[in-house]
Amino acid sequence: MPARYQTASIASERSIGPVAKLHRQAISAISQNHYPQAIEYLQRAIKIEPRNAFSWHYLAQTYWHTKQYGSCLEMIKRSISYSSKLDDLERANKALISQCGEA
Amino acid sequence: MANKSKRKSNKRKNRAGPRKLIGGLILVALLTLTGYLYHLNYLINLRFDDDTWAIPSRVYARPLELYPGLKLSAESLQYELDLSIYQRVNLTPQPGQYRILEAAIELHTEAFEFSDQTEPAHQIRVLFNANEIVRIIDLATTRRLDLLRLPPVVIGSYYPQNGEDRALLSVSQIPQALIKILLAVEDKKFYTHFGINPKSIARALLANLKAGKTVQGGSTLTQQLAKNLFLTPEKSIWRKINEAFLALLLELRFDKNTILTAYINEVFLLQQKNISIHGFALGSQALFKQSIGNLTTEKLALLVAMVKGPSRYNPITHPAAALERRNLVLRVSRDHRIIDQAEYQRLIKLPLATVNRLPGVNRYPAYLDLVKRQLNSSYSASELAAKGMRIFTPFDPLLQRNLERGLKSGLARFDQPDLQVAAVIADYLNGDIQALVGDRQVDYPGFNRAVLAQRAIGSLIKPLLLYGLLEDGKTLATIVDDKPIRIRLSDNKIWQPQNFDRKVHGQMSLYQAFIRSYNLPFVHLGVNGGLETLANNLKQINLLKRDVIYPSLLLGTSEMSAFEVTQMFQVIANRGYFSPLTTIRQVSDQHNRILDRIPLASYKLFDQSSMLQVQRAMIGVSEEGTARYLAQRFQHQTLAGKTGTTNDARDSWFAGFTQRELTVVWLGKDDNTPINLTGSSGALRVWADIMQKQGFSAFKLDRDDSLEWRFINRFDGGLSKQGCTNSVLLPFPQHLVPDVKSRCE
Repeated sequence: MPARYQTASIASERSIGPVAKLHRQAISAISQNHYPQAIEYLQRAIKIEPRNAFSWHYLAQTYWHTKQYGSCLEMIKRSISYSSKLDDLERANKALISQCGEA
Repeated sequence: MANKSKRKSNKRKNRAGPRKLIGGLILVALLTLTGYLYHLNYLINLRFDDDTWAIPSRVYARPLELYPGLKLSAESLQYELDLSIYQRVNLTPQPGQYRILEAAIELHTEAFEFSDQTEPAHQIRVLFNANEIVRIIDLATTRRLDLLRLPPVVIGSYYPQNGEDRALLSVSQIPQALIKILLAVEDKKFYTHFGINPKSIARALLANLKAGKTVQGGSTLTQQLAKNLFLTPEKSIWRKINEAFLALLLELRFDKNTILTAYINEVFLLQQKNISIHGFALGSQALFKQSIGNLTTEKLALLVAMVKGPSRYNPITHPAAALERRNLVLRVSRDHRIIDQAEYQRLIKLPLATVNRLPGVNRYPAYLDLVKRQLNSSYSASELAAKGMRIFTPFDPLLQRNLERGLKSGLARFDQPDLQVAAVIADYLNGDIQALVGDRQVDYPGFNRAVLAQRAIGSLIKPLLLYGLLEDGKTLATIVDDKPIRIRLSDNKIWQPQNFDRKVHGQMSLYQAFIRSYNLPFVHLGVNGGLETLANNLKQINLLKRDVIYPSLLLGTSEMSAFEVTQMFQVIANRGYFSPLTTIRQVSDQHNRILDRIPLASYKLFDQSSMLQVQRAMIGVSEEGTARYLAQRFQHQTLAGKTGTTNDARDSWFAGFTQRELTVVWLGKDDNTPINLTGSSGALRVWADIMQKQGFSAFKLDRDDSLEWRFINRFDGGLSKQGCTNSVLLPFPQHLVPDVKSRCE
């Protein structure tokens, strides 16, 4: 199993309103190992704002924690497809993709 | 002596004979009674096991998420609330009610148990500016809310074969006032009798003898329950005997609360077409659009009033009789000091306040049909009809309303009463099927054309074909030849395809051939490798239906349903990311335990840059190609789409997408005769009507740094400039940017 990936919000995230709230709730749920709940929050966030790269990244994090590495990789691909010039998100995606890829 | 003794012995024998006979008869009677009671007990066991009642499974729409910035008009929110169990009032809303204010709606939501958390009840005010929510205020705390999830609307149910519908209450959920009123009216001695009430029976018998007909019933609630659960409504001595024994057994087996709860869940109240509504909980929702816990006394009195004669005292069809009976129930309630005189005087003046008509049963038959088909791999029809499951779907009632309205006005354009329709709206970014219609009569539960009608798709195949060509190294500026072609098929027959206008148009760019939907250039390219790529790509999204590939596949002779076409365009609209289309997101049992989750799935199947080029070409279709009607109608609003027409104009298709939704429309006839409509003159117009009703966000091509944008000449494919005749701005992979210059005219 790959080294434990540190779940954290991404510094450059500037989401506001409902999506930001759902991200906070999801990160909190992940930190308490409540993964199904985190997935639920993130899917709601994606439904509201489907092109938010951070939602997809956090969803990938959740799948990493639940050892669903295939889904993790697919979610990172979506995150990457929506991110542009967000260096720390790019770094986080790269770090996670290597973790999921190694697993 | 011997004779005397013999006579005595015979006498004894003669006396013992009748005794034995009587004893035997008693034994037989006892055995019969035991068998009879055993049988009745068996019946009770059958009904009172873990699944006392068959509970229909409920299908829920998506929960509406309210937040500032959401594009939603007050009228749309009101529509959603009306579909749900909310009741419109003029005073401060109580739970399950809302009121309309100027540029605002105040509502008092009810708590709802979602899988991730219970959304508590809220008293909120939603403020609107034009068609957008600007603020949500929690009236209890006066704080602004970032986000609020409304309980989802029930859009349908899967009923058991007996057609009974009910919602169950546990003993703790039954309002005390209901129990008091019910017992005062129906069974005053409920807590003291043992199932039957001899005094009551004698009193009823006397009254009936005096009247010469049945004017009074002496049945206890337990007897009524026994009758409702196990017996037919026939009036006979034998049924009364059965009823009495069953009541006695019920009382022996169960405590009073269990019997009372069973009665409250079982009692028949309303008939809604072929569905019978049982139990006070569902009766309350159907009649008042309110949970029973929120009903006021006079409404509870009406429900109790209906028990005596659900048809005779139906408040919708017989309001005067129902009002009189309700007031009688209120008088009994006053006499039993459940309410005081002043309250009684106030309540009898109140109107019945029920809905004018019962809500429709399964108003969205095509969508529910698809849900059932997608569920059938995991759950049988009998499970769905009895287990009380909760099925959560992404169905969007507001989109469905716009779809239905758009279809109605769109179909009115054509004077063809037998013209049929199938239409699907999907969120292409996650695979949610949000709205669906399978018949021009949208609420008709017949043949679901959106899923079942397999029709040739014509030029709708071209975007995926174009993708394959781009992947094989072509560009939108590649020069193609629109010239005749003859192909010898494997059976030695000659296939000679033609353009729709039966003309040839010479050389042009691939982009130009695509937006004009010319067939011949695509057949030329297809037979030189494009066909195999197309077949492989169809296979990747599970839409290749035959192992043997014919060249005519290039012109969309393969048949698909509107649902399958939606899947094909989902992956195109989503830049190559495939999300299986679904009508189900979660299934839970009646105790809210999750049985199944269908998580958001996304698979990168195709190259994003090539798909973006396809999308650019599809924008061209709507701006200057076969769907340029859209540019005329929705000026300055970018849309992407493709028309499809089949041989002799038997099928008319249009598939197009905005920034959020993909909508597919098919028009045709069931007997496959020509409809004399092309994709452009038929389905496209209907599609535009749907968009008009819906309002939409214009489509924006995603940025892709690997693509370079250049003006080219649409006919010779050379580099051109903005403003030159026939120039068009198109994306190219960096290594494939045209290097030949075109003359600017």
